[in-house]
Amino acid sequence: MTDITQKSTATPAMTMGNTLPWILAAAFLFIAPIIFSSNSAITIMNQMGITMVFALAYNMLLGQGGMLSFGHAVYMGVGGFACVHVMNMTDLFEKMPLPVLPIVGGLVGMLFAIAIGSFSTRKAGTVFAMISLGVGELVAACSVIIVVFFGGEEGVSGDRTYGMPFFGIEFLRQIEVYYLTSFWLLVSALLMFLFSRTPVGRMANAVRDNPERAEFLGYSARWVRFYSFVASGFFCGIAGGLFAINFEILTEENLNLATSGGILLMTFLGGAGFFFGPVLGVVTFVLLQTVLGLQTELWALYVGALFLATVMFFPGGLSGLIMMHVTPMRLGKLNRLYVPYLKVFVPAIIGTLSLCGFIEILFHARHAALGEDEMTIFWTTFSSHAILPWIITIVVAVGGIWLAKQSAPELNEAWHDANTPDGGAR
Amino acid sequence: MDLVLVNLIDGLVTGLLLFMLSAGLTLIFSMMGVLNFAHASFYMLGAYFAYQISIYLGFWMGLLIAPPLVGLLGAGVERYGLRRVHQYGHVPELIFTFGLALLIEEVVQFIWGRNAMPYMEPEILQFTAFSIAGNSIPAYKIFMIFTSVAIFIALLFVLTRTRVGMIIQAALSYPRTVEALGHNVPLVFMGVFGVGTALAGVAGVIAGPVLTTFPGMAVVLGSIVFVTIVIGGLGSLWGALVASLLIGWLTTFAKAYNIRMEDILTGVGFTKPEVIWDSMWQDLWSLTSPQIADILPYLLMVLILVFRPYGLFGKRDV
Amino acid sequence: MSTTSALKLQDLKKNFGKAEIIRGVSLDIGESERHAIIGPNGAGKSTLFNLITGRFPPTSGKVFLHGHDLAGKAPFEINRMGLSRSFQITNIFPKMTVFENVRCALLWAEGYRYSFWNIVNRASHLADATDEILAQINLTERRELPAGVLSYAEQRALEIGITIAGGADVIMLDEPTAGMSHSETDYIVDLIRKVTVGKTLIMVEHDMGVVFGLADRISVLVYGEIIATGKPEEVRANAKVQEAYLGAALEAEH
Repeated sequence: MTDITQKSTATPAMTMGNTLPWILAAAFLFIAPIIFSSNSAITIMNQMGITMVFALAYNMLLGQGGMLSFGHAVYMGVGGFACVHVMNMTDLFEKMPLPVLPIVGGLVGMLFAIAIGSFSTRKAGTVFAMISLGVGELVAACSVIIVVFFGGEEGVSGDRTYGMPFFGIEFLRQIEVYYLTSFWLLVSALLMFLFSRTPVGRMANAVRDNPERAEFLGYSARWVRFYSFVASGFFCGIAGGLFAINFEILTEENLNLATSGGILLMTFLGGAGFFFGPVLGVVTFVLLQTVLGLQTELWALYVGALFLATVMFFPGGLSGLIMMHVTPMRLGKLNRLYVPYLKVFVPAIIGTLSLCGFIEILFHARHAALGEDEMTIFWTTFSSHAILPWIITIVVAVGGIWLAKQSAPELNEAWHDANTPDGGAR
Repeated sequence: MDLVLVNLIDGLVTGLLLFMLSAGLTLIFSMMGVLNFAHASFYMLGAYFAYQISIYLGFWMGLLIAPPLVGLLGAGVERYGLRRVHQYGHVPELIFTFGLALLIEEVVQFIWGRNAMPYMEPEILQFTAFSIAGNSIPAYKIFMIFTSVAIFIALLFVLTRTRVGMIIQAALSYPRTVEALGHNVPLVFMGVFGVGTALAGVAGVIAGPVLTTFPGMAVVLGSIVFVTIVIGGLGSLWGALVASLLIGWLTTFAKAYNIRMEDILTGVGFTKPEVIWDSMWQDLWSLTSPQIADILPYLLMVLILVFRPYGLFGKRDV
Repeated sequence: MSTTSALKLQDLKKNFGKAEIIRGVSLDIGESERHAIIGPNGAGKSTLFNLITGRFPPTSGKVFLHGHDLAGKAPFEINRMGLSRSFQITNIFPKMTVFENVRCALLWAEGYRYSFWNIVNRASHLADATDEILAQINLTERRELPAGVLSYAEQRALEIGITIAGGADVIMLDEPTAGMSHSETDYIVDLIRKVTVGKTLIMVEHDMGVVFGLADRISVLVYGEIIATGKPEEVRANAKVQEAYLGAALEAEH
């Protein structure tokens, strides 16, 4: 009985079961560049690591605190800009080992969050979202006005190698930056995880679920939100510092709505409800971006559609989807889901891919240069103006989705069955 | 003085345009508690639809057909998208409309490409209505003003004189009671969402020729519309009107009159440093009002939120 | 002003627009007293509760908690002064576990405030205190369940647990037995008696029978006014109460 029902987020004290994922994560981060040793892989992993810190910090608000921010790029950006400026202060930077630099970013991000949070955290929900958007747009627009700090349109750049060598490492190579980023990723993630286990972190959840009740327990919902916001600002600043180290340049792009929206997208895709959700979201998104981006011009369209579908059908995101299977697994009934899953998802995936094929053909027919009728998708080359591919893709798409719909009730039943313990429903 | 008049007209055009967007947004927000992040995307769709129709049937048919089309699409989004997300709460709703905005932009690029469309005002309106002190006022601007005012009056009439309007008005103040009274709230929601997006569509149709019809037009106006209704006070139609006009005039005047920070600072008694490019304050000294015109609305919003958190006319706790 | 009273209301009034909901209520509740406010539906009991606990500001009049004026205080400040309340509609944290619900209620009182340097899972005394409360409200077995899946009676018990957890000495319960069957009601009343020993209890009920064996004194609130206050037997015998209460009850049935 208790075994089945232990799906809570509460954890006993730090035990073996709790530290193991962290050790595994550290080990993985350590050997990852040995497995994926190409330069481009390390570049992508660096970018992922930085974005993960940012996404986890963002989720301190969205997932833990129930605050939706549309302008969170600003806190990362401000921290990053500050770090580049430090890089350019030769006298100071000479005496500072590079790995310490992200702390500067964190502090600046935190200070900025204190200033903005002092009025923006009065309310949660829609009002908070709107203020965050307004502040975000304001700061992004300021980047061309306050040239001293934001460097105008070309941004501010620096050179990380001018820092004091850190045990002889000058961070000339990408791999060195990778380990620096990984170190900070691990430290930040651990600290953020621990934050969620502190009184403020716990009350952030309480305020998210029921601000009024929290008030009648002696906690001011506003201040609880404020502290979460400031902590989030700190870790965003860390991410900004890492960005400054990795890219050595910050521009308006680090502040604008597109970046803020991107982090929301990744976090939600991965699932805001679980601590590791944003990490999953970042990996998925970056992989989609690189893999899909190589294949098609329309990748943003697909990602947008995927995002919308996630919001509509799987509000728990990827991590929510995974965690849904914990109960069937505990009951030992996961195997009952395999066949229904195959029956639904194989046709659904084929149908969706076919739909994408149709969209690609349509796009090619409309926008390709005149006389260029040939196109290649799914390893087949044909003319986008011929009628046959159109018919095939439509028929397969409709057929696949129809088939998937036919099998859906069966899956539904199997799902219900797999979630019910044998011998009596609860 | 004459220049003031010209700017008043220009600001009015911008303000009324903003109002057409913010009115729909306010209606939707008051009824459903949802801030439609994709509102400006429907405005963009209005412009694109009207352009596509105008190719075959001319501008006027575009003006006639595009807004209902946008409204229909909006109603569909409410019925098949938003209603589903509604059960998860307001934050997912907001995220849904955010995703919708992304998707609409991608779809527009998919269909019409990345370049601006040659969407023009109708030929009969391509003349100068009158000129003030050498500044010609195009007839199209006057047309824009009249259209927006006409729509505003029509909206006012519907809201205050019809049964549906009464229900909506009641729902503005007492959303739960209206539901309890047994009105078909889902249908009203769908209708309001449709009408709200259709209003945005009208704005798109008439703004498209002036502000250029391109895939970024939603982003350009989107945030300003939100700022407008936050300044006006979430859920207040009058607030939306006042804030729209305020922002329209504020930005227009800031752009028209080159007020330089340098003059203000020296006027107050500071002396300009000799080597300005080395000074920490160089940006402050070189600041001019046209430069900051576009961020004035945001600045105003932050100030309002600090000193009057409910906005100019807002009363309701949201 | 008497300083011995735990809670003192002085001519408290509340208007919503033109409607006078509370029309001048004065009441003096002593330390460790169990006081019940009863009255028919719509008498303004919950409004009175919300005025006392700072959820709404009163139109006029004052509230004193242990002699301190509560005017302009936010709910969380009032809570910190030693007053805790429950709600008529179950008001818990449905997504968190039963254990965490109670633990959250303990945090402030245990002095954790807004600290972000303590890990709550490590604080064994916090866990012990939480388990103690859970034992009191008989929910130990439900410890790890999300509160949202509990039965209604269990949620009401949890709500009481959350309310008393912080160690407040003035406990206000808003219709703790609303919507319960007889046996459930008896169970909750016993529970209330058990957990409020030595504390001041103010509870709202519309059913006089529920509070009869529990309350030291009863006040009857009708149309925003207190028409009688006294020992249960006195109140029951009071002709005015019989008329108003039974009259209103009969009316409500039509």
